[in-house]
Amino acid sequence: MSAETTSIMGLFESEEEALAAINEIKELGWEVQEVHSPIPSEKISAVLKRKKSKIGWFTLTGGITGFITGFSVAIFAATRWNLIVGGKPIISWFPFFVIAFELTILFAVFGNVVGLLTQVGLPTKQDDTYDPVCSGSFYGVLAGAKPEESEKLKDFLQNKGALASSFSQTT
Amino acid sequence: MSQLTFEEINTTVLKTLDKPTPGYWRIVALLFTGVLVLFGCWGYQIVNGLGVAGMNTPVHWGTYLINFVFWVGIAHSGTLISAILFLFRAGWRNPIARAAETMTVFAVMIAGIYPMIHLGRLWVVFYMLPLPNQRFLWPNFQSPLIFDIVAISTYFTVSSLFWFTGLIPDFAIVRDRSEGMRKKIFGFLAMGWTGKSGQWLNYSRGYLLFAALAAPLVISVHSVVSWDFALGVTPGWHTTIFAPYFVAGAIHSGLAMVITLMIPLRKLFGYEKIITIEVLESVAKTIIFTGLIVGFAYGTELFIAWYSGSSIEQESFWWRAFGTYAPQYWIMVVCNTVIPLAFLFKKVRTHIVALFVISIFVNIGMWMERFVIIIGSVAHDYLPNAWGFFAPTLFEFAIMFGAFCLFFFLFLLFAKHLPSVSMTEMKEHVHHRSHS
Amino acid sequence: MNSAITERPATGRIPIFSIFALLAGAGFIYFIVLAAGSHPEKAWLVFLINYLLFTGLALGAVVFSTMMHFTKAQWSRSLSGIAESFASFFPVSFVLFILMFLGQEHLFPWIGEDLHGKEIWLNVPFLFTRNLVGFLVLYTLGFAYLYHSLWFRLDRGDSSTFLKQILFKLWKNGTTDPEKIKRRMTFLAGWFMFAFAIVLALVGFDLVMSMDPHWFSTLFGAYTFVKAIYSGFGALIILAAFLHLSSSQSFTLTSKQFRDAGALFFGFSLVWGDFFYCQFLVIWYGNIPEETAYIIERTMVQPWSTFAWTIFIACFITPFILLLSGKLKEFPRFMIVMCSLVIVGFWLEHFLLLAPNYLDSVDTFPIGLNEVFITIGFLGLFAVSIITYLRQFPELLNGEVGEGT
Repeated sequence: MSAETTSIMGLFESEEEALAAINEIKELGWEVQEVHSPIPSEKISAVLKRKKSKIGWFTLTGGITGFITGFSVAIFAATRWNLIVGGKPIISWFPFFVIAFELTILFAVFGNVVGLLTQVGLPTKQDDTYDPVCSGSFYGVLAGAKPEESEKLKDFLQNKGALASSFSQTT
Repeated sequence: MSQLTFEEINTTVLKTLDKPTPGYWRIVALLFTGVLVLFGCWGYQIVNGLGVAGMNTPVHWGTYLINFVFWVGIAHSGTLISAILFLFRAGWRNPIARAAETMTVFAVMIAGIYPMIHLGRLWVVFYMLPLPNQRFLWPNFQSPLIFDIVAISTYFTVSSLFWFTGLIPDFAIVRDRSEGMRKKIFGFLAMGWTGKSGQWLNYSRGYLLFAALAAPLVISVHSVVSWDFALGVTPGWHTTIFAPYFVAGAIHSGLAMVITLMIPLRKLFGYEKIITIEVLESVAKTIIFTGLIVGFAYGTELFIAWYSGSSIEQESFWWRAFGTYAPQYWIMVVCNTVIPLAFLFKKVRTHIVALFVISIFVNIGMWMERFVIIIGSVAHDYLPNAWGFFAPTLFEFAIMFGAFCLFFFLFLLFAKHLPSVSMTEMKEHVHHRSHS
Repeated sequence: MNSAITERPATGRIPIFSIFALLAGAGFIYFIVLAAGSHPEKAWLVFLINYLLFTGLALGAVVFSTMMHFTKAQWSRSLSGIAESFASFFPVSFVLFILMFLGQEHLFPWIGEDLHGKEIWLNVPFLFTRNLVGFLVLYTLGFAYLYHSLWFRLDRGDSSTFLKQILFKLWKNGTTDPEKIKRRMTFLAGWFMFAFAIVLALVGFDLVMSMDPHWFSTLFGAYTFVKAIYSGFGALIILAAFLHLSSSQSFTLTSKQFRDAGALFFGFSLVWGDFFYCQFLVIWYGNIPEETAYIIERTMVQPWSTFAWTIFIACFITPFILLLSGKLKEFPRFMIVMCSLVIVGFWLEHFLLLAPNYLDSVDTFPIGLNEVFITIGFLGLFAVSIITYLRQFPELLNGEVGEGT
């Protein structure tokens, strides 16, 4: 979109107020660009139609890699000299399973971390539109409207009981 | 608790990060001298050899192993609280999860030091890693001692990453309410977190996966530690119940340590509205449960020792109760299984002093359990002419003292510089309670 | 809707009670015929296996209810009501245990053997007494728990069934304070679970482990009760799924409840797998002949090794792979198949642990039609007990439950 939109942040004191406001904003045809909240909210994610998280795939990949690596490392080490130690077979699956299990968890966690960093998008520069009270108790709904309508949007948000600050952005 | 607001949570916790008093720094300095004792004694041992400790034929594993198992055990209940109770959606974990996870990270660190102390020649510790070398030597991955290395390193890495991930939203809270240097540091740590819905969606999923991975990890790590003993054929060690028994015992001692830490913490930081007496009561109730499991294990081992008809097993268990180390055995039984039963009475488990005192007893009892298991079996195994005696030297006690100081030193530094209660999880807890 | 269950089934409706009762009766007759034949030990072996399996299922399912109450879980209210119906098998199980006295010569391989001092523990009178006392305590605690739990669940307005009339009469004389009753429930739930662990550990040692009197494993008792919880949760899910799918019952569960129940089931599959691994690893690694003989015979020698692998795949590998993700747990039909597979696996597991003690040489496949018919008979008996209970308390299938948890 090449049109300019003004973004206005409305700060609501509870999840219910924020949800009600989001629904009405969408009905009135304005765009809800972002919601900052102090705690995760399934309802807000659902209303904003966020897609399910993909992190699980990273974790699963890591886990499978770890499982194979665990057995591989153990089998590799055992077959260098092919010595029978403690009367056990040179390649004994049973104890090697412990190594495979631990490395499954370890690599799955690495996958999870990579997934978290990439999907959550950290580290990142802090948004300009962020208001620090959103890490306290306020839900910040960032709505966008054309500059002509920005006053209407501001009034609407204030009517809903929010404190509003405004920013100007070009999309 | 239902009147607790988000802002109250923020302010209560952030107040604990205010500039510390001189009294605080004096205690930290005192603990630091304890840490110096640890490293000093360790250095002395490196120069003079392992003989300064009390290990000798036949008891080659002494307090270094006892403390190793002890600290790994303490670490486990932290992960139980932060990961396993998260999966079960038990709300009472939220106020103590952060402190418990931190306890885990530090306890694993301390535990990890002990094998290195016990090694003697610390500089060849890398022999245990699968690194290419000119003699083509590789670790024997069948050995439970190598399982240990893989398991403990994994546990330390995973716990630290889990701990840090949980801290990110809290870092953002501190960043948003500080100035100057602190704002810069916490801003760096928070990595730009702003609580956007997309961020929260993925973060929650990642956190859940972390918990789902940490839970089996906890079980496996202490099982692996138990297999250091159970996979050998020593009487009193070679028994199938060891893995679940050790895991239950670990959680038992760890929960007691949680109570020991939480009671002063909540008093000094004014957390009474957050870490309520109900939370401590829930911990106490869980201690009853783990105490019963430990008691069940004691009973089963005794029964099977008789049932097996093996005169050596029977002698081993009889000696534990009535031999040289009988005092340790009875302290263990009483402190681990009998004393926690006092928590069956509501009056006891809601009484702060009682909670604190019983938690100390449980920790003593669990330390004694490791003593009885490790020393008691090795000192008195198959051949009567190989029976021996072990007494820890002053030196070992000094190292033990130093390690405890290190733990509390790290924990005190953490408590005053990082949020010791997870503000985000507390808010979720309060929000959930008011909406259910 | 309630009356549809208590009335005689209309034409076209399947008379499940009668079918199961018939199967139970047929199985019983079949068992008597077999026990009177040339290989009574085979009949008693199947009896023992089914007794252990179904008692474990019943106890494990009731543990679900006590566990959920004790931990103050909210999501499982309606499911707990169904779980409690498994307690109807307790008196049946008690009688079946007493019946085993009749088959003692065939059941206990150590009778008459030289046990080097173990005779003071392994003798018929002491064994029966201690286990009967244990079951008496356990079942009494279970019924006492149910007495209090049903106080919250039953609709006082309708006293059409026999058990409800008795209960209402008893409750009229008792306390009416819900908080007091809840506290008693918590107390009883805790002691029930404690007794469950002790009694099932004892049963595991006495009725399974000691069938090879020279082998021992300290974890065996705990392994037995973990098996009961795992398979009991599976049986509960099967029952709940059938009721949910049935068009004649109003009982429904949300997909979230199915997911949570499935997650618990998955969790216990991991616990069972872990306990199995712990026993196996320690015995394998120590390589002490008096311990390994038992394991070698059952996992490395044909035909038992085939059984061992089948059990492992059915009870661990398959649930692990299929239940790892969340979605499949929400489909009741899938969960019925999955949980049934696990329970069949546990039947085979009991067979694997016990049969080598009874069957000397195994030329042909050791499970034949005899075993299948007797097992179906036991299943009929099990189902008859549960159906009776659910018909006595039809409001449990309503999905509307009162306070209590």
